[in-house]
Amino acid sequence: MGDIVIDIRNLNKSYNGFKAVDSLDFQVEKAECFGLLGPNGAGKTTTMKIIYGKSEHDENRDTVVNVFGHDPKRESLTIKAFSGVVPQQDNLDTELNVIDNLRIYSKFYGITSREAKKRIDELLLFMELQEKAKSNVRGLSGGMQRRLTIARALLNRPKLLILDEPTTGLDPQVRHLIWNKIRELKEMGVTILLTTHYMEEAFQICDRILIMDKGKKILVGNPRELLSKNLERYVMEVYGVSGDNGVCLERFNEGEIRCEFFMDTMFAFGDDSGKLSKLGEALKKDYYVRRSNLEDLFLKVTGRSLNELQ
Amino acid sequence: MNYNNNYKLPSVFRRLISIWYRHFRVYSSSFFSNAFPPFLEPLIFLAGLGIGVGGFIQNMGAVNYALFLASGLIVTSSMYTASFECTYGTFIRLEFDYVYDGMLGAPISPTDLIMGEIFFVGTKGFFFSFAVLIVVWIVGIITYPLSVLATLVGFLTGVMFGTLSMFVTSFVRNINHFNFYFTGLLTPMFFFSGVVFPLENLPKGLAYAAEIIPLTHVVRMSRALCIPGRFSPYLLLDMAYCVLFVAAAGYFAVKGLRKRMIV
Repeated sequence: MGDIVIDIRNLNKSYNGFKAVDSLDFQVEKAECFGLLGPNGAGKTTTMKIIYGKSEHDENRDTVVNVFGHDPKRESLTIKAFSGVVPQQDNLDTELNVIDNLRIYSKFYGITSREAKKRIDELLLFMELQEKAKSNVRGLSGGMQRRLTIARALLNRPKLLILDEPTTGLDPQVRHLIWNKIRELKEMGVTILLTTHYMEEAFQICDRILIMDKGKKILVGNPRELLSKNLERYVMEVYGVSGDNGVCLERFNEGEIRCEFFMDTMFAFGDDSGKLSKLGEALKKDYYVRRSNLEDLFLKVTGRSLNELQ
Repeated sequence: MNYNNNYKLPSVFRRLISIWYRHFRVYSSSFFSNAFPPFLEPLIFLAGLGIGVGGFIQNMGAVNYALFLASGLIVTSSMYTASFECTYGTFIRLEFDYVYDGMLGAPISPTDLIMGEIFFVGTKGFFFSFAVLIVVWIVGIITYPLSVLATLVGFLTGVMFGTLSMFVTSFVRNINHFNFYFTGLLTPMFFFSGVVFPLENLPKGLAYAAEIIPLTHVVRMSRALCIPGRFSPYLLLDMAYCVLFVAAAGYFAVKGLRKRMIV
């Protein structure tokens, strides 16, 4: 492992008796993109907020929260001075135009007007918003508002960028643009911490991911490695099958195919796509064989059915 | 772009100024709708009460009634603007628009945020009382040159009611509950603080009660600056009251609001 810049050990957070984060441990290396994944209510946002001091963790003797050598409970201002934060909801000043939104935040970081002007031009170019410089924020599309929020978080040239669901609700074009920008920032040496519900996003841009559920860590590692280590290479989906394990086990009980049932769909996992197709033919139902992906892994480890927080 | 350079945390003073600047820019972005009413309101008041009521009552004690009323309206306009800004405005920024969530992602603490905002409503109070003064100067009701200093009392009133309103906001969970504050506290304050009639005529108990409420003290200060021959050392007591009031309400406002910002 390279330089560890964020060190979290035995992190706990409860709200009125509800445990949002439960004995969480993880480390983030310098200039890597680290993704927090998990169903709604898993504790991702709370974890992020604790890192920049928007939330305070429970006091435990052996809890460690170290962000570039600083403790967010006591030094949140120092941490925020070198970080950029993109919260889940956009909170731009809708009465103002794009440039003024950035100008106001440049003052929060203590950037001089001259320097701010230079950086704002740079950032508008970077986030491809230069034509919207004078536009009112209210009239911007969701994707533009999101890009502006990200630009705002980059004003201080942060060494840590915290993104809470950066692309939720955006169209594929904007999402790809944002992924590209995140990769560019990583190249420049920015450490990136993000949460997402899009497995594709995690797969594309994260060096390492942490899958958490009910406040607890479930899996951590490189997305490709996690996938190859924890899941068969192919999956077949068959619709209209009743939850009868016998169908699967009876004929292909060689340990090479594993079946899951959810509602009226059967998911058969295996490393050999030919065998899966044969099973599909035998079932005489519509079937579809594809490569397994991070979403399959996610559902495997966090469960297919909804919990009370989703 | 060059990343990973030195990061300097701006001083408290610069942080407060930057918050002030944010509110100022947002406020002045709709300049007409925000700058026009402060001038219109005193006109309506003076027309309604000054001409209407003033037709029956020329003098309040030894003072012309229009002058008496105008010297009080200088601070009530500030009281109302500060109270609206720091109840409905603050609540919306806190709960609906997530403005504070954004600001707290920058190097700003909840205390900075609250103090900066109170500093801004002080300025707004200054502007509102200045607007009243301009109107009454033009109409010729107030002619005393020292009255220009009443704008500073307007600033103080804004700070005082901004702080009180922030404190109220810190425990209000439903935006409709502010109705109780306005109807239950500010309206009686308007009538029982010496704005529309002098307190000397009140029964002893009520006159003492009037001394407890904050508006009474700023009204007295404003009047001393607008009407010649009203200075007295007791004004220092009024000043001390205001300082203590702001300190106490400010302490509880920060304590309560911080709990809602850092969860």
